[in-house]
Amino acid sequence: MADKTKAVQEKENIQVERTRSTNVYTPDVDILEKEDSIIVLADIPGASESTVDITLEKDVLSIYARVEPEVPEKHQLIHAEYGIGDYQRSFTISNEIDRDKIEATVKNGVLRLVLPKSKAVQTRKIAVQAG
Amino acid sequence: MATKKEIVQKGRPGTDIEARREWGSPFTSLQREMNRLFDSFLGGSSLSPWLPFERGGAEAFTPRVDVSETEREIKVAAELPGLDENDIDVSLTRDTLTIKGEKKEEKEEKGTDYYRMERSYGSFTRSIPLPVEVDTDKVEATFKKGVLRVTLPKTASVIEKTKKVAVKSK
Repeated sequence: MADKTKAVQEKENIQVERTRSTNVYTPDVDILEKEDSIIVLADIPGASESTVDITLEKDVLSIYARVEPEVPEKHQLIHAEYGIGDYQRSFTISNEIDRDKIEATVKNGVLRLVLPKSKAVQTRKIAVQAG
Repeated sequence: MATKKEIVQKGRPGTDIEARREWGSPFTSLQREMNRLFDSFLGGSSLSPWLPFERGGAEAFTPRVDVSETEREIKVAAELPGLDENDIDVSLTRDTLTIKGEKKEEKEEKGTDYYRMERSYGSFTRSIPLPVEVDTDKVEATFKKGVLRVTLPKTASVIEKTKKVAVKSK
């Protein structure tokens, strides 16, 4: 189990100087592993495919999703449970991921990242034959 | 200079950094930070009077709701990431707006292992009491980018009743 989690690890405590005056939230994510890929699902309500930036720098995969505030100016907030702000989260990925084939889609406020494993590390089943 | 240093050292480590990163006045942001801390310690936002109590558990999905108003209308926004407009059911009685739906877990095929599960799934019902009477025929709901927005125009009689009182200077 411990061996598996090496493929994607959350990178903690990134301090970035910000140029926009909004709050930044950490989105909730699910990370699943399949035979040939790792899938990251992140809840980013309010952001769309055009406002999501995904960057891969060395080993760090960063997700940054911008949210445009949609509460009109004249409205007065009378009950608030969520804050409007951008989403940011970074993960460290290992060499087991095929970096050129990472795919990302956004649908209904959920970001889906598919990180295919490189051919070299895919588990191969070896059939055992009777001798 | 010496006193300032002393104050900083006495404070809990990290608190001053936290406040500086927030926007706006350092005191309001500190208060917000504290509230958030207490909220998460006491089980999320279940302290909010509008959230159903029986749910409580961290696993069940409960959408977060913002309510805002102007003189003419009330707007309700709910964060529903991962839902489709067909999964959402919005109904209205005279003074309560009810949002129902189910966040379905993606069915992954066999051989899938979970590393991390922070997102929650399941069906939910949120009933939001409306502070004033609304025109039920003119209510509109849109769903975009995982956010449901319901616009509820106030009835003409309510708008009429709210009268601004002019404050005169002597």
